[in-house]
Amino acid sequence: MHATNIQKAIQQLKESIFVRVRHRALLQYTGAPVVDENQLFFLLLPFLNGEPWHEGLQESATTVGIVQASLFEHDKIKEKDAISKEQQLTVLSGDYYSGRYYEILAHTGNIVLIQKLAQGIVERCEQEIAAYEHTYRTMEQWVNNLSLIETAIIRKFYEAHGFNKYSAVMVHALTIQRLQNEMDAFHRYALTAVGRAMEKCFGQQELKHLLTVAIEEQQKLLTAELAALQLSDELQQFIWRIVKVETR
Amino acid sequence: MEKMKLKLLYADLKSDIEIIETELEKALNSSSHLLNEASLHLLQAGGKRIRPVFVLLSAKFGDYQIERMKHIAVPLELIHMASLVHDDVIDDSNMRRGRHTVKAQWNNRVAMFTGDFIFARALEYVTVIDNPRAHQILARTMVEICNGEIIQIEDKFRMNQHIKDYFRRIKRKTALLIESSCELGAVVGGVDEQNIRRLKRYGYFVGMSFQIIDDILDFTATDKELGKPAGSDLLQGNITLPMLLLKDDAPMQPYLEKIIAGTLTEEERMKMLQYVRHSDAIKQATAISDKYLQKALKEVEALPKHPMKKKLRDVALFIGKRKF
Repeated sequence: MHATNIQKAIQQLKESIFVRVRHRALLQYTGAPVVDENQLFFLLLPFLNGEPWHEGLQESATTVGIVQASLFEHDKIKEKDAISKEQQLTVLSGDYYSGRYYEILAHTGNIVLIQKLAQGIVERCEQEIAAYEHTYRTMEQWVNNLSLIETAIIRKFYEAHGFNKYSAVMVHALTIQRLQNEMDAFHRYALTAVGRAMEKCFGQQELKHLLTVAIEEQQKLLTAELAALQLSDELQQFIWRIVKVETR
Repeated sequence: MEKMKLKLLYADLKSDIEIIETELEKALNSSSHLLNEASLHLLQAGGKRIRPVFVLLSAKFGDYQIERMKHIAVPLELIHMASLVHDDVIDDSNMRRGRHTVKAQWNNRVAMFTGDFIFARALEYVTVIDNPRAHQILARTMVEICNGEIIQIEDKFRMNQHIKDYFRRIKRKTALLIESSCELGAVVGGVDEQNIRRLKRYGYFVGMSFQIIDDILDFTATDKELGKPAGSDLLQGNITLPMLLLKDDAPMQPYLEKIIAGTLTEEERMKMLQYVRHSDAIKQATAISDKYLQKALKEVEALPKHPMKKKLRDVALFIGKRKF
């Protein structure tokens, strides 16, 4: 599949998400929902790779995108003093999107996906809160933590629809993306909550080194998984672009 | 005293309420010690558990099986708990039921994760019920509660709002979840359609009365009874029924101006509360709550003969006459 068509499929899914959660007051105060296009790409990967796809699957992918948008809204809440009208409505926009994904799946009778996504959200919350637990973790544990945060929801979508073979590639690619984001945040002196927790464990210089090593390790694993999955050249190139590696 | 009354009211359902409490604890179990701590913090704060009670009482009019009904009763209480955790972030509240809120004990982010975790656990738990209608009712309720809260934020400090705006808001904010508790109890319990509608309406009327009383108590109860400063709703800009009935009174104007400017002193708060407590607005608001209560009791009368009819009546009266 050509890169333009990949982009078109992503934009269509994005539009479908926006349409399903459109809300006058939320649009006015918190703006349109934020969705990570790379995450949408992985939701669509089975379709882009030619797996049988139908309206129900597109609807499921839309609801998973809504879940991601919901969690992203709540990620925007500040640790202290979230008292502005915008922050208050950001809390509610996350809750509203959460209600909407449940409502859509309830109407299509997809109880299995409701359950799977709920389990994914539980897993993700358990990992997100780890940053505030003041517990020592090894770098391997932190990489696992970041990986679960980024991939738990999509993994549940794959599980619900029998697309497990795409999991490993998705997990390594999105883990690299997150580790790179942590590295960028490190260089900008704007660490995330997990970044701060990792810094407490290892110190500044060691953290930089460990992040570099972890990214390299994940890239090796991604290379191996991509070889095993045998995706088209276009899809492979798209994935390497996601992880900011231009030529392979 | 109020807690004792409630215990007596729940006496017939005691063993089933205990099952619900145990299941709530199980549902909130997590591999994260911080989530466990935050959830336990919430559970220990207690609560009236009125939503599970309405589920169980409504289901008694059908084929009542606690093993099935708990999968509706527990999620409804969890959804209520989760929304309180997020509400405390929105309202910047440090105290609830006399205890520190999750956001005050830890921080806003921990509160957000805790709320999301509890919401997700509620959905995980309710999926045992393979009845699309039940899921549609619950999902619609969750969306509408949010809509109610969004409107509430838009209406903050809007002194020119109409009493109808207030009713529309509390319908979504509170009455809907109680209405849905009754409806879901009846639907999953296999009650016939006519009585589902009666129980649903009963829940709506009780819910409206419940919120009006809550809004009255925010002015009339003491800080200790409320577990937070009396008048908090107004200080946060929420214009509730007593204030809608009073807002044009001349003696209220200086207080309102200072509340809007955020400059009301503690002494002025106490004086304002004295004024509100002795005003006619409290009596008028109580009368409106009573009207809803009477409508709820009328729905109970129309239900078929059943030992639980008295219980529905008693719970409604407790809610409509409670002191805090």
